[in-house]
Amino acid sequence: MWLFISNGKGEIGVKINENCIACGNCLPYCPMGAISLGDERAVVDEDECVECNICRRAGVCPTDSFEPQVEGLRAVRNTFSDPLVPHKNTSVPGRGTEEMKTNEVTGRFRRGHAGVAIELGRPGTGARFRDVEKVAMACAEVGVTFETHNPVTFLMKDLETGKFQDEILNEKVLSAIVEFDVPNEKLAAVLEKIREVAGKIDTVFSLDLACRVEEDNSAPAVEIARAGGFNPTINGKTNIGLGRPLAKEA
Amino acid sequence: MTHSLHRAGTAANLQNDFVVFAISAQTVNAKGSAAKFARFFEIVSRYNPVNMGDMKTGNIFSAGKEAIQKGFQDNSIVHAVFTDKEILPKVFKELRDADLGPSIVVSGLLHDVNEGCEAAGIKRHTIEHSLGVWGRTEKLPSQGILEVATMCGHGMVAFNLVKEMIDQIQGGRKTPREAALELARQCHCGIVNPVRAEQLLKALAARGRHEVA
Repeated sequence: MWLFISNGKGEIGVKINENCIACGNCLPYCPMGAISLGDERAVVDEDECVECNICRRAGVCPTDSFEPQVEGLRAVRNTFSDPLVPHKNTSVPGRGTEEMKTNEVTGRFRRGHAGVAIELGRPGTGARFRDVEKVAMACAEVGVTFETHNPVTFLMKDLETGKFQDEILNEKVLSAIVEFDVPNEKLAAVLEKIREVAGKIDTVFSLDLACRVEEDNSAPAVEIARAGGFNPTINGKTNIGLGRPLAKEA
Repeated sequence: MTHSLHRAGTAANLQNDFVVFAISAQTVNAKGSAAKFARFFEIVSRYNPVNMGDMKTGNIFSAGKEAIQKGFQDNSIVHAVFTDKEILPKVFKELRDADLGPSIVVSGLLHDVNEGCEAAGIKRHTIEHSLGVWGRTEKLPSQGILEVATMCGHGMVAFNLVKEMIDQIQGGRKTPREAALELARQCHCGIVNPVRAEQLLKALAARGRHEVA
């Protein structure tokens, strides 16, 4: 007998097979706290499970009872939750994007512009696409250019408004990244919108700001954020510019 | 974006936490990158990283170094974690001279990384800051738990697992080092810093459980 996780629509997610002995070893490994102990076996809450597969890969199940069988909309959860799954359109593993990591080669963020990413569900909380949509639509009101090489953007049905496909709005994922380019002149307004929409969602998000470093080693977008009352962290990421070939500067 | 951004911490407990990684642009220079990642891995290996990994294979604690070396692909993202900022200029210089092609990104205290670039004669290209965590932050655990868990940016280190490891240290069932390695094993990319994790877990375990939840 298999214990399938099904939402009644033919969507099947991770399953726990009959070998489970309800030892409970797997419980603390689930980032969503979606596993509990039933009478005879562990039980997964299908609505909370994000198909990240950490339960299976942790290697703590003595009977090897977790089996992935991800189909339909559960595959959307899987793509945004299991870092080993590369998105079919970006080829980037880990639900992420290349963003500033390859900027010297792609020229994605140019001087005078900022890259903004809003990673809903991070850290460790998870997010439903209805909240992802709220944030995307709020930013779209200011006029931003959503990054096309980003798995979240592929789920939008309108890049002007940030509206998503209705059928995915209730799907929960470990995190999803709304990413866009914005000219520095609009950055303060966008950040204010983000601050505003933060009070209207049912999860958390981590907010990123990327920008090209100027010839004098300054970072104008960071100063715009500071002036708007944001506190850029003392740690962050630096692309040290060694990728080749270099993108042409605008 | 950004599996290595948003590492929660203080100036004091981030001073031994630097992630250096290589990534290719899938639409520009990815073709043939596997061999270049192998060369990157070979270079960074010589500077005593405390963790290494490739998203396509796993980390040195889960998959092992040999499996990583055999598994490079053109869309790999290859990481090494260092605890000493003094080695950064040496690593940067050697990577610059190797002229590999994939982009090189460094996560850590931005001031220290900038100093490392200057010492190596390299101009920073692009930087990225975290502007913090917003929304329903009441859903988050204590800062201490976050400092440990956020070392895996993909969320593979569950808050509950950090609490479980603290319980096990307090109960004498695991040493802080063993607990740190158990957490590092979960982070496929190999960017959890087990040295920093051990220090943080040891300090958390010395407190009462209610203080760390």
